[in-house]
Amino acid sequence: MKWQFSNDAPIYAQLIAQIKVGIVSGVFPPGERLPSVRDLATEAGVNPNTMQRALTELERDGLVYSQRTAGRFVTEDQTMIEAAKRGLAEGHIQTFLAAMHRLGYGREDVLSLLRQEREKEEMNHGDFDM
Amino acid sequence: MLRKLIKHEFRATGRIMLPLFLVLLVTALGANLSVRGMLDTRYKVLDILGSLLVVAFAVAIIGVCVMSVVLMVQRFYKNLLQDEGYVMMTLPVSVHQHIWSKLIVSAVWFALTIVVVCLASCIVAFDVGFVQELVWGFRELFRELSRYLDAYYAINGTVILLEFLAMCFLGCCVMCLQFYAALAIGHSFPNHKMAWSVLWFFVLQFATQLLAGSLIALLDESWLHHLLLAWTEGWHLSGTAATQLMMLTVLLGEVLYGAVYYFLTTWFLKKRLNLE
Amino acid sequence: MAILTCKGLSKRFGGTQALDQVDITIEPGRIVGLLGPNGSGKTTLIKLANGLLTPSQGEIRICGLAPGKESHACVSYLPERTAIPTWMSVTQLLDFYQDFYADFRRDAAEEMLAHLNIPPKQRIKQMSKGTREKVQLIMVMSRAAKLYLLDEPIGGVDPATRDYILSTIIGNYDPDAAVVISTHLIADVEKVLDDVVFINQGRVMLQASVDQIREEKDMSVDALFREVFKC
Repeated sequence: MKWQFSNDAPIYAQLIAQIKVGIVSGVFPPGERLPSVRDLATEAGVNPNTMQRALTELERDGLVYSQRTAGRFVTEDQTMIEAAKRGLAEGHIQTFLAAMHRLGYGREDVLSLLRQEREKEEMNHGDFDM
Repeated sequence: MLRKLIKHEFRATGRIMLPLFLVLLVTALGANLSVRGMLDTRYKVLDILGSLLVVAFAVAIIGVCVMSVVLMVQRFYKNLLQDEGYVMMTLPVSVHQHIWSKLIVSAVWFALTIVVVCLASCIVAFDVGFVQELVWGFRELFRELSRYLDAYYAINGTVILLEFLAMCFLGCCVMCLQFYAALAIGHSFPNHKMAWSVLWFFVLQFATQLLAGSLIALLDESWLHHLLLAWTEGWHLSGTAATQLMMLTVLLGEVLYGAVYYFLTTWFLKKRLNLE
Repeated sequence: MAILTCKGLSKRFGGTQALDQVDITIEPGRIVGLLGPNGSGKTTLIKLANGLLTPSQGEIRICGLAPGKESHACVSYLPERTAIPTWMSVTQLLDFYQDFYADFRRDAAEEMLAHLNIPPKQRIKQMSKGTREKVQLIMVMSRAAKLYLLDEPIGGVDPATRDYILSTIIGNYDPDAAVVISTHLIADVEKVLDDVVFINQGRVMLQASVDQIREEKDMSVDALFREVFKC
């Protein structure tokens, strides 16, 4: 898994977001055991306490649960994973809309731009379906 | 911990001193060959080779003696006051243990140097007659000693010889400590550490000599002179006893000097350490 | 109990005040960045903690002990320069550390050396500067100490080695021990730190946690540092 960090948000918040992406995209499949805090921290190159904090927050949200001796596991609850996916998607949309807004596009303009983009793609790949 | 320090100190110095000893013994062997067969031959080449071997032996003797002193100073300086000091001075050992380990190892090398130089000289002079004479001499000495257990001069002579050796040995150790003290003081300065060390070596040397000189001056026609005279009035000292007394006084003086240098070294290393 | 405490700690060299009334407390389990420009007093502070200097005023305690023989046993110190004896071979160096430090984990050191393909028979003298620094770091990190004092561990090394060093520090994390990393290369260490101490001209300017800075000021520690120490 590729870990990347920006300079404007707390590191634990960025870790939470990236682990969520990992869960949603199947890098960490449902019901699977997560690597230890130390291993995850080493892999991401971050402080183990920060990683611990991110995992605790994920646990509180229910995406991750811990078993006393066996370690931490990804939830098997598909609806919860779907909800997380939806949450991430909404986040991306919000950022996207904010950026478009700065460029001077209204909501309708954005929708028509998206439609045009899809038509372009359909012309390039005949088998494209959405 | 002192034992471990000594062990690693021997590792560090042995890799230089042992090969040097070996070289000295080999050149001694060469010089022996040369003395016995190569000089005074009709062959020019052998003659030259022979003298070269003798010169090599002389150089090796000087080399070993100089090296044992240089190494002792250099180990203290490089190991405790240069970059390596960052590792050494943060070991879980005390400053006292550091100084003792250096001092003990240096003293052992001094003693070994004396032994090896003697051995090398014996090798040079070696032929069958020489060994016979040596063995015979020792046998004679012990026979004398055992026959007259009260052999006054034999015993006194041996004791004085031993005292003399102890004096030389202790002198070497005190010289070590003088170098240590000068380096420790010199390296407490922020700049020109080596220049300060050299200066302090001479300051210590001067102070020592001033003290010894004034003491000797005092002995001649002064209150001390009269005090001592009054003190020793009842004594009837023979010549040998007086020599013994003098030797012991000198030994005591050396110990005193050593103690002062030791105190200076530890104090500066503890309180005024200032690694670059 | 705090691992490192400084109370009113000052150090003066002749006319210059290298440290001025420094108060710092470092708790176990924390990785702390000691950040400041060159000559700000970082190295002086670390040397004081190692007993390589004596304070002019105030006091410094490591696990409740004044710096000395006993505190040295629980502090693992990486000096800013290569200080391991260069005449030794790697094996002799391992012997050396094993002899003097009861907490030295020889197997861990050997594993790291093997991982970097450093042959045990090689002498330190024959190594490149970078390799020497790596060997020294391995010796320091192979101890199970209570306090690690790392003075400029990533100063003069290439980016790959930098990553190796940082991941070694993370991989060695012990909740009962504290790590102090002094550096001026903040962007590289930022993610690894819990807390930062900004130090300038011998005074502590700021003590905070990394996420606290990011949350409250909305900028990275690196950016904040550039702002605080703007020339």
